[in-house]
Amino acid sequence: MSEIYVITSGKGGVGKTTTTANLGMGLAMRGKKVVLVDTDTGLRNLDLMLGLENRIMYDLIDVTEGRVAFKKALVRHKKYENLFLLPTSQVKDKMSVNPEQLVKLCDELRREFDYILIDCPAGIEQGFKTAIAAADTALVVTMPEIAAVRDADKIIGELGRADKENIKLIVNRIRPSMVESGEMLDMDDINDILSLDCIGQVPDDIKVVTAANRGEPCVASDDSQAGQAYRNIVARMLGEDVPFMDFHKEGWWTRLKHMFRR
Amino acid sequence: MSEDIVKIKGTSLGLQLSFAPEASFEEVRENLRQKLESGTTFFLRGTLVLIPRDVFMGSERDELQHLFHEYGLICRTQKPETEQAKQPEAKATVPPAPQPAVPPASQPEELKPQEMVVVNKTLRGGQEIRTKSSVLVCGNVNPGAQIIAGGSIDIRGTCRGMVHAGAYGDSTAFIIADHLMPTQIRISNLIARSPDEMEKTDRAERASIKDGQIVIEPIERQDKTI
Repeated sequence: MSEIYVITSGKGGVGKTTTTANLGMGLAMRGKKVVLVDTDTGLRNLDLMLGLENRIMYDLIDVTEGRVAFKKALVRHKKYENLFLLPTSQVKDKMSVNPEQLVKLCDELRREFDYILIDCPAGIEQGFKTAIAAADTALVVTMPEIAAVRDADKIIGELGRADKENIKLIVNRIRPSMVESGEMLDMDDINDILSLDCIGQVPDDIKVVTAANRGEPCVASDDSQAGQAYRNIVARMLGEDVPFMDFHKEGWWTRLKHMFRR
Repeated sequence: MSEDIVKIKGTSLGLQLSFAPEASFEEVRENLRQKLESGTTFFLRGTLVLIPRDVFMGSERDELQHLFHEYGLICRTQKPETEQAKQPEAKATVPPAPQPAVPPASQPEELKPQEMVVVNKTLRGGQEIRTKSSVLVCGNVNPGAQIIAGGSIDIRGTCRGMVHAGAYGDSTAFIIADHLMPTQIRISNLIARSPDEMEKTDRAERASIKDGQIVIEPIERQDKTI
């Protein structure tokens, strides 16, 4: 039985695409057959995160308009054989795909894959409505920041209007030191407003940026805290009960650095 | 041609409709239905629609009212004095014969005080409740959400949005919430804004008008055991 997830946020720049890439790769590392569908037409990035840009032959628009079969447009990941990307077009715009086309495509993909992750564009316009149309579950990504939480709230309302009841929360880019000093919203503040089932808390980690630039999502690297957090989310998606990470526990190395800074 | 069957004019009260004198009831009804179908932003839910009083009677008028109700609009037949004021410019073929036959019941039927809208979920940013009656929310009202009620508002949860009670002039209306920390409170024609540093209260509070200003005081909720 395959599951369709849409990764959405409302606000831009909170890490939808990064989350999609990491969760997709994480699921593939656990042996699942996964396809990532980029619906951010005109501003596609998911291929970059996975380092697959130069392998794209056809795109989502070619598939939805019936020019090629979806299998031809799929790009297989170079390292993980059961991870596929369905890239979108960089030249068309979001009006090129409509919700019915995406639902039809996902019905076909369902037969082949265990997990279908849809990367949603920012905003609440047509692109958003198209992206969520086929999803069974929505993963709302937000940041501990007032504007991101506000937009996530709006998105949850919009998802409710579209009868998407199964919604989970991922809080990205948490800075433990700032949370501790009270300069950043903590999980209680966020839960207070969003009151949503949280399946992930991802710390802000410079390795996420370097990994994205290399086209190798950090979920694969063992020494990254964010990578560990993404692996935990993957485990929770697979139904395992994993406790949330404790960011406050610093390694001896960071503690040493802090001592020198003082 | 079809544009002219129904004319719509915005007034301070709501939307004023006038019908072409030669149009049949069916034409008017179809034209209205098309307009309601297309102009979604124009016909906001809860808008008052005034229709000329002497054009359609009895079952036809009821049918029009029913049509507006379907789209969430409030339909009233026009007051006699506005009718007369409009008369010179509206090319009326029928002189406005004084009709005491229709009782003024259609005009000041006003809000029924006991009516209440129950919202059984959290109102999230961008969502709005607009009603002539009172509102009960079983859930939170999040920042960016709005409630505009003709009566009072009771929130069984945290209120962080914009709440307006007595929006149609009722200055006895009040607002109660378990945690009252809205961006703005409006009661009748008064506005109060929250302090810039908001603290979460641990007691239910009630906002009402006293001596011409909005006051907020803690209250005891009998049915709450915290």
